[in-house]
Amino acid sequence: MSLTLYKSQRPPSELVESADLDVTPVMNMFIILIPFLVSMAVFTNLSIIEFSLPPNAGASMNSSPEKPKPRLTVRVGADYFGIVLGDTLYDSLSVNSGIYPFDELQERLRSRKLILAANDDIVIASLDEVAFKHVVKVMDVCRSAGFVNVGLSSATVNPGGETE
Amino acid sequence: MSILRGMANAEIDGTFRPQLTSLIDVMTILLVFLIKSFSVDGNLITPSDDLILPVSSSDKRPRQQCAIEITGSAIIGEGEIIAKINDVAATDSLLIEPLFKWMKMKSVQCGDSLKGRELMIQCDRELPYSNVKKVMYSCSKAGFNRFSVLVIQEE
Repeated sequence: MSLTLYKSQRPPSELVESADLDVTPVMNMFIILIPFLVSMAVFTNLSIIEFSLPPNAGASMNSSPEKPKPRLTVRVGADYFGIVLGDTLYDSLSVNSGIYPFDELQERLRSRKLILAANDDIVIASLDEVAFKHVVKVMDVCRSAGFVNVGLSSATVNPGGETE
Repeated sequence: MSILRGMANAEIDGTFRPQLTSLIDVMTILLVFLIKSFSVDGNLITPSDDLILPVSSSDKRPRQQCAIEITGSAIIGEGEIIAKINDVAATDSLLIEPLFKWMKMKSVQCGDSLKGRELMIQCDRELPYSNVKKVMYSCSKAGFNRFSVLVIQEE
């Protein structure tokens, strides 16, 4: 009986003219939150690469009478890469018009690691004139090829000579 | 069109109601993007403005430790110029005397002798390796044996 009192001829959507949504609090929240997030945003992520120096370069230079065991070494020159173990040069890759063959170096390092059953240690011996970014890239390549412990050293101009 | 409608409404009831839908859309997209790129940790290390770090695929997070900056013009430690790059490049000696003395002084603060002393190198990507080599040599002579290099993480 009472239900009939609320019965209308028009549907409820037509009874309300328009929903007047107040967006002011939302806008206030946006205006506060966006400058805060912009100020806190990190657009460049920084990371580190850890490395070691060869034992004869450190402070303990003369403490060990034993000759250090030769480790697989990547020689980085201005126009070549060389993969060396002791006095033996296993691979040599040339740099064409300033473009270093990093992909090829990675493949060669992977195969050399398997063939020579090398451990996870590698030394990067770079010539003085090589830009630091190339040395960092070679460190990346070595890690990708499975060499976890990367050491930095320097190479002499004469490839047949010993590293410093 | 909506502006005209708003103006027409303003004429009828005396109030101007701007259409905020598109603005809220933009704000929402911006908010989602910023929340996605938000890092709670932030950057613990702020590299010097006058050096461009090399790019690397390493994802190891940097931590607070002793650092040395090698820019195109100078070797800087804690904001203090220790040696000029031109002077370093001009000499054949691997040992940079002022850097060695400074690092020797700082070495006590940068770890103990048992665990090893750590140093983070921030170096400009275009600098020749000879400068980095001299810095590393001088620091290792001052007792540092664990090194890391700060890089920009590759996307």
